[in-house]
Amino acid sequence: MSRIEQFQYDNRIVRAFGIAAFIFGIVGMLVGVVLALQLIYPNLNLGIPQTTFGRLRPLHTNAVIFAFVGNGIFMGVYYSLQRLLKARMFSDTLSWIHFWGWQVIILAAALSLPMGLTTSSEYAELTWPIDLLITLIWVVFGINLFGTIIKRRESHLYVAIWFYIATWVTVAVLHIVRSLEVPYSLFGSYPVFSGVQEALVQWWYGHNAVAFFLTTPYLGVMYYFLPKAANRPVYSYKLSIIHFWALIFIYIWAGPHHLLYSSLPDWVQSLGTVFSIMLIAPSWGGMLNGLLTLRGAWDRVRQDPVLKFMVVAITAYGMATFEGPMLSIKSVNAISHFTDWTIAHVHVGALGWNGFLTFAMLYWLWPRMYHTKLYSEKLANIHFWIGTLGIVFYAIPMYWAGWTQYFMWREFTPEGTLAWGNFLDTVLQIVPMYGIRAIGGTLFFAGVILGVYNLYKTAQQGAFMANESAEAPARDPGPAPTLQGEYWHRWIESRPIQMLLFSTILISVGGIVQIIPMVFLDSQTPKISTVKPYTPLELTGRDIYIREGCVGCHSQMIRPFRAETERYGEYSKSGEYIYDRPFLWGSKRTGPDLMREGRGNKNAKPDSWHYNHMIDPRTMSPGSLMPPYPWLAEHNLDLSELPAKIKTLRALGTPYPRGFEDRAVAEAQEQAKEIAANLKTEGIKAPDVDKKEIAALIAYLQRLGTDIHVAKTATKK
Amino acid sequence: MYKYLLQSVDGIQLYGIVTLVLFFSVFCIAAIRTILADKQDTDRLAQMPLDDEA
Repeated sequence: MSRIEQFQYDNRIVRAFGIAAFIFGIVGMLVGVVLALQLIYPNLNLGIPQTTFGRLRPLHTNAVIFAFVGNGIFMGVYYSLQRLLKARMFSDTLSWIHFWGWQVIILAAALSLPMGLTTSSEYAELTWPIDLLITLIWVVFGINLFGTIIKRRESHLYVAIWFYIATWVTVAVLHIVRSLEVPYSLFGSYPVFSGVQEALVQWWYGHNAVAFFLTTPYLGVMYYFLPKAANRPVYSYKLSIIHFWALIFIYIWAGPHHLLYSSLPDWVQSLGTVFSIMLIAPSWGGMLNGLLTLRGAWDRVRQDPVLKFMVVAITAYGMATFEGPMLSIKSVNAISHFTDWTIAHVHVGALGWNGFLTFAMLYWLWPRMYHTKLYSEKLANIHFWIGTLGIVFYAIPMYWAGWTQYFMWREFTPEGTLAWGNFLDTVLQIVPMYGIRAIGGTLFFAGVILGVYNLYKTAQQGAFMANESAEAPARDPGPAPTLQGEYWHRWIESRPIQMLLFSTILISVGGIVQIIPMVFLDSQTPKISTVKPYTPLELTGRDIYIREGCVGCHSQMIRPFRAETERYGEYSKSGEYIYDRPFLWGSKRTGPDLMREGRGNKNAKPDSWHYNHMIDPRTMSPGSLMPPYPWLAEHNLDLSELPAKIKTLRALGTPYPRGFEDRAVAEAQEQAKEIAANLKTEGIKAPDVDKKEIAALIAYLQRLGTDIHVAKTATKK
Repeated sequence: MYKYLLQSVDGIQLYGIVTLVLFFSVFCIAAIRTILADKQDTDRLAQMPLDDEA
């Protein structure tokens, strides 16, 4: 018989992460509400570049995913891990480095994204110095996590911990591969991969950010907090074993469903579809395991707000994971992709699953850590109801808007022309839906404020237990002995290193099979001989396009549908993107696609149109929802980084000739003068416009999708 | 170099199928063994979150 050891659980770190989750939840959701309103009142950016939609959108997504849910994950992990392992965290110092490090990352994001410092890759927008800091802090978290596991007093690892281990290793792998980039300045960098390859890496990362940041850690948390709140064990431990392994193996393959009907080779698209459809099995296994845990306890759901939040969270998880596989079927995806259907889908997940599970945890943890009762159950119930109503008012109009817009995009007249040839008409049709969505978001936000007040009062009436005493028998070091007749899976359940190893193998397979052939086989990206690298001015304009977050509303990917080729022109080919670092296909069309915006295409516009449109979009497109960008005509064009950019791109494989970096600035200035001359001819009175940022942006826009026409002209000759 | 290696392997298409069959069979065996596991064992383990208050 081992001797009994006395120790204390660290509650302070749990509370710190909880408070941070709440604070950043408020910030992230408030930015969300502002963005929703900007889509109705485009001038709501107040003329300030830093508060414009394109720059705020990544702030909203990053704040909600990494700040709100991120801190929520750490709160849940630090609380449950200590108790499941019967040990205090490995090192208090590491806990606090982790906490403050994570908050510094969030602060850096909150400052840099509105400043336009972005890679523009969704959910990986942060610049390379911040990427390095994330890596460092993630390693600190890993040491603390595995340190605690190694010094544990309970030899068996409960299912929640498997999910934490898989989360840790997968996020590490995803973050490192996605952040492979070569810096050209203190904040600027170009990704190692380009075009279609970068698109694949991006959505392998992007989808698995959803899988391994928003899902697996929260499933781990669910497997701990749901039994606690319901006071009964999980419905089926066996199901949780199958759920875990199947989920982590299958999830990693699903990324390409973000690129259906794009220029990505068909075999990768099909793999993405097949695995996404398969995902419904483990996802619903987990969802049913959660809901069935409550069997026999449904009477308590009526009274306990914690259980109410959990039931809706798990139901939202079930809905989102049913919808996900459906959206991965190509014909369904044709509707959802680029429309608000996707926005509805992600918000059912984010508001319902992540939001409500976080609130459930907070309402459960606060009274326990403060040794008191919840200040007001009634207030928590009100929070629950206006939160639920908020989700409904958010999601339904977005579904409606998505379907409406899609069917308008593809409607033809009997004569065979587009019924809604002006893209703007399809946007104006759904503005009322945007209005209702803003109400839904505000309701959800109001609920959060009630929650903060309730927990603040709970804290006030209680006494915080910074260190909670506990005792448990000491554990013999080394793996637990395998007992005769013990069921087989227990072997790995008491061996953390093997668990880490097997998880790593499983999550690597999908990425390796999809990404390696795409990167190393030339046949996967057929080249087009007339596609040439951007000129120095176009490159500068492209980086301004990235800085302003234009990709948040404009795609650059024409799918091979009649409705799209009719509207935008020739469908996109993978060979057209080989010099695109980063790729800018986008995933939402609040404005029209810009792939064939350039000179010589059927939708091409004169330079003066672009100039006027940037100064005030509504002069060219009455009723447009695009914010004005007058500062582009005021800010001086900064070409100082051009030589470094050219050198970096050449090192990555763009065929700029040697010594080109020395001529680049002069060439850019020359092209800017041409743009200025065009503008003058077209009647724009703008002195020194060749020295302004707008000249570079116009040059870039006029280049978009033009290279394939060179091919046509050449063939004719 | 990598491209050459990948393209020069005879019957590389077969590798994908072998991998799929291998993974699928391992998954099926694991699932069956899990389902057949002793319920008393797993029930005891499922109690873990509820036993943690010392």
